[in-house]
Amino acid sequence: MTAPLHHVIIGSGSAGYGAAMTLRGEDADCMITMVTIDALPFYNRYDLPGVFRGHHDWRKLLAVPPARYDELGIKLRRSSRVVDVDGERQTISLAHQEDVAYDRLLVCAGGRSYLAENLIDSVGLMHGFGSFEAAMRVYRALPKGGTAIIIGGDMIGIDLALTLLDTGYRVVLIANQQTFWPHVVEPVERKRLLKALENKGMTIFADERPVGVLDTRNKKFSRAVALESGTEITGDVVMSFCGLSSSVEFMLGAGVDIERGILVNPELRTTNETIWAAGDICQIWHDKEKIYKFYHGWKNVRVMGELAARNMSGSHEIFDVEVEDRLDIDDDGNLRSTFWTR
Amino acid sequence: MTKDMNNTDIQIAICGSAGDGTIASGDIMKRAAALMGYNVIAFDLYPPEIRGFGKCISRIRISSEQTYSLKRESDIFISLNDNHAIPHVGEVRDYGAVVFEDSLIARVPEGRHISAHIKPAQVPYAFSIRQISEQATNSARSRNIVVLGFIAGLYDMPARVFHRVIAAKFATKPQIVIDDNTKAFDAGMRAGGAVFKLDDVAVGKPRDYSNGSDAVMMTGNEAIVRGFLEAGIGSYFGYPITPATSIMERLAVEIPRRGGQFLQTEDEIAAIAATIGAAYAGSRAATATSGPGLALMSEMLGLGVMAEVPLVVVVSQRGGPSTGLPTKTEQSDLNLAVYGGSGDARRIVLAPTNVEGCYRCAGMAFEIAETYQTPVILLIDLYLSNRYETVIPSEENTFAPKPRLRPEIAKGDIYKRFELTYNHISPRALPGEEGLMHTITGLEHNEQGRPNDAIHSVMSIKRHEKLNSATRFPGLTVCKRFGDEGPVDVGILGWGSTFGEILETMFEAQAEGIRCSAMKVVMLSPLPMDEIVAFFDDCREILVPELNYEGQFANLISGAVGRPVTRLSHVTGSPMVIAEILAEVRRLAGSATPKQKALGS
Repeated sequence: MTAPLHHVIIGSGSAGYGAAMTLRGEDADCMITMVTIDALPFYNRYDLPGVFRGHHDWRKLLAVPPARYDELGIKLRRSSRVVDVDGERQTISLAHQEDVAYDRLLVCAGGRSYLAENLIDSVGLMHGFGSFEAAMRVYRALPKGGTAIIIGGDMIGIDLALTLLDTGYRVVLIANQQTFWPHVVEPVERKRLLKALENKGMTIFADERPVGVLDTRNKKFSRAVALESGTEITGDVVMSFCGLSSSVEFMLGAGVDIERGILVNPELRTTNETIWAAGDICQIWHDKEKIYKFYHGWKNVRVMGELAARNMSGSHEIFDVEVEDRLDIDDDGNLRSTFWTR
Repeated sequence: MTKDMNNTDIQIAICGSAGDGTIASGDIMKRAAALMGYNVIAFDLYPPEIRGFGKCISRIRISSEQTYSLKRESDIFISLNDNHAIPHVGEVRDYGAVVFEDSLIARVPEGRHISAHIKPAQVPYAFSIRQISEQATNSARSRNIVVLGFIAGLYDMPARVFHRVIAAKFATKPQIVIDDNTKAFDAGMRAGGAVFKLDDVAVGKPRDYSNGSDAVMMTGNEAIVRGFLEAGIGSYFGYPITPATSIMERLAVEIPRRGGQFLQTEDEIAAIAATIGAAYAGSRAATATSGPGLALMSEMLGLGVMAEVPLVVVVSQRGGPSTGLPTKTEQSDLNLAVYGGSGDARRIVLAPTNVEGCYRCAGMAFEIAETYQTPVILLIDLYLSNRYETVIPSEENTFAPKPRLRPEIAKGDIYKRFELTYNHISPRALPGEEGLMHTITGLEHNEQGRPNDAIHSVMSIKRHEKLNSATRFPGLTVCKRFGDEGPVDVGILGWGSTFGEILETMFEAQAEGIRCSAMKVVMLSPLPMDEIVAFFDDCREILVPELNYEGQFANLISGAVGRPVTRLSHVTGSPMVIAEILAEVRRLAGSATPKQKALGS
């Protein structure tokens, strides 16, 4: 009798959660460990703008009750940062000096919010929105009816901006190339979409380049964004929404190919036979285009997690999802995105 | 109390290895909480080794309302040593906090970091405890203080109260020790304040603490010392033994200051012999020991009974038999306290149920002993000896000794030290009082104290019957009923330290709709039979939880009343577990017949 396989999943987002549930469905006896730096069990990050609608109890955001992990025999290791993966020894190293051995590893650690190089020095004056904690900090920092300055405006940012307008806040959008990311929007369409946002009540600065964020706490507003043109935009919080960059540093010693993300074949397997990757962290080989491509958006991410899990369990399925890239904002400001709409 | 304190009822557990400062940090936390105006119950578990790698846990319940025991589950759990902490992670409630080190310096085997054991519904707070300590004080030794600061920062507790307690705790050390601990606390507080609070632990704002709190926080042993001192203790003779030693240590300082006699004797036999001698000579005399010490004292205790000498013996029980579990709690010396020794040696045994009870019983014990001219045993256990509770002491001393009346005898009469009287209590003279010369002896004796075995039957009656009225001693709570009045499904009968858990269980059972009452029996000998029988009459089922294997109290009560009881024994060395009592209450409540339920009886 062979020992049950130990599947380790790095990341507890949509891909990781979907993978864990699928793995358990495929194999009732295997060991499943999810390792995440997050403090909370899986919840849908796309629901985070809801904090401005009064959703302040993270327990109500959870995908499943916490007890479900125990019921399914899924070990959830939170507040644990992976610092290294040894593909030969088949172990991951955690920052607190513990190695965890795996038989099969799925990496779906996602990405972090991309920040333009010229704004890196200002990071301490900006708010993130990538977690429940970060979202709540924004909520607490933004006075009732206050102004949020959004740099870029990827789909997470646009979704938040529309929620803020809906709930009585002011929004200033400093648009750039990442606006509407991960959608690729033609210039004419982009203009129309920005106009729709403006009609909704958003103040738009199109084609302006921010060069720094200023601490103006002693003035009426606590923050200002300096633009290259010399203009200063004032507000209460500043957030950057310029898409995601993959978090792959801990994979550098894993012996897998990495470009901007972890490179995987259409079965989502890396160049190491025991390691798979899914979600925003991986670039998938596209046979027709002969390139490695990112596939963002929660629908893609979830599909990847589940598919990788089935392949880890012995299948050989191919990721051939081609989600249509379509985005629209109607006259009422309602957002319809093939990547984003819930 | 201000309104915003109303909902505060949290329990903090700190777990580490001996030498980590676990108990010290728990001590600071509980003193700070008491100073803020909260009610505090705290209990420390530590290993038998003086210094080593054993497990230490400090549990502190902080509440704005009166509470009676530690909670079933902790709200906040701090690990200073994962090896020791891992088995206790399950004691943290859902959505409670688990605080732990995230930057260890040595590798840990797979699965031996606490993060592998935190339940999905618990909230982890990982931070660099060691690093913060080193940055603040150039040493990792302040980790225990850093975590306190973290908790204070996370739950927005006032720093200056902690500063005050830290300064007081290390007052005898060089200033740098106070400074370093304060720095470590502040650094931890900054870390805690920067963390986003995800747990649902609610800490209401404390009341204005600027003038301090009226409440005093003390252990059961400290309360006994205070009661003894207020009652005018004049002599103490003892031999150290866990968990009673701290009584002796405190009295070693206090009694000489008051002009009394204190001596650490060569053993327990000498201790009680000297105590009997001092008491015979008219001093309010006491000794304190644990089960093994009481076993040694039992022969001399018989002398106290036979010679009708009023002395007080504190017995703090620990796990036994023999050396047993010296640093763990148990209630297994009841038989020894009530019956131990040769012959029919009936004595008074009082078992307070909380720290305030220790204070009151100790304060009254000498008066009771003198009234009935017999040894009085104060029976507590390690859990009560070492448990901290906030107590508001009475402003006036109600335990001060009353003037002793010199026996009056008619001219020409012979003084009879053991005179047979209507209430079996004889007028007591002290040795040396003019005209009241008498003999006392361990031999059976006549009214004058002269050896005489023909009178054994009469004197046996005297020594037994004189204690009957002790159950009505003025001002003494010998037993008390709590909860639902009238007929109930389940009555929980308890004694000693366990009663706090019993009372909390009763409240939980009532909240579930179970008709439930609880009765504490403080006087174990003689038993307050009228009240106990009335309680039996009202309860369809009687449950007796206690910390011994045999059900010693259950046997005592069941034998006295002549009715069966359900026993619930717990012998892990730890206090009684509320969940275990509640499960039994539920089972017993559910066993009511449909007719009984319909009739509500």
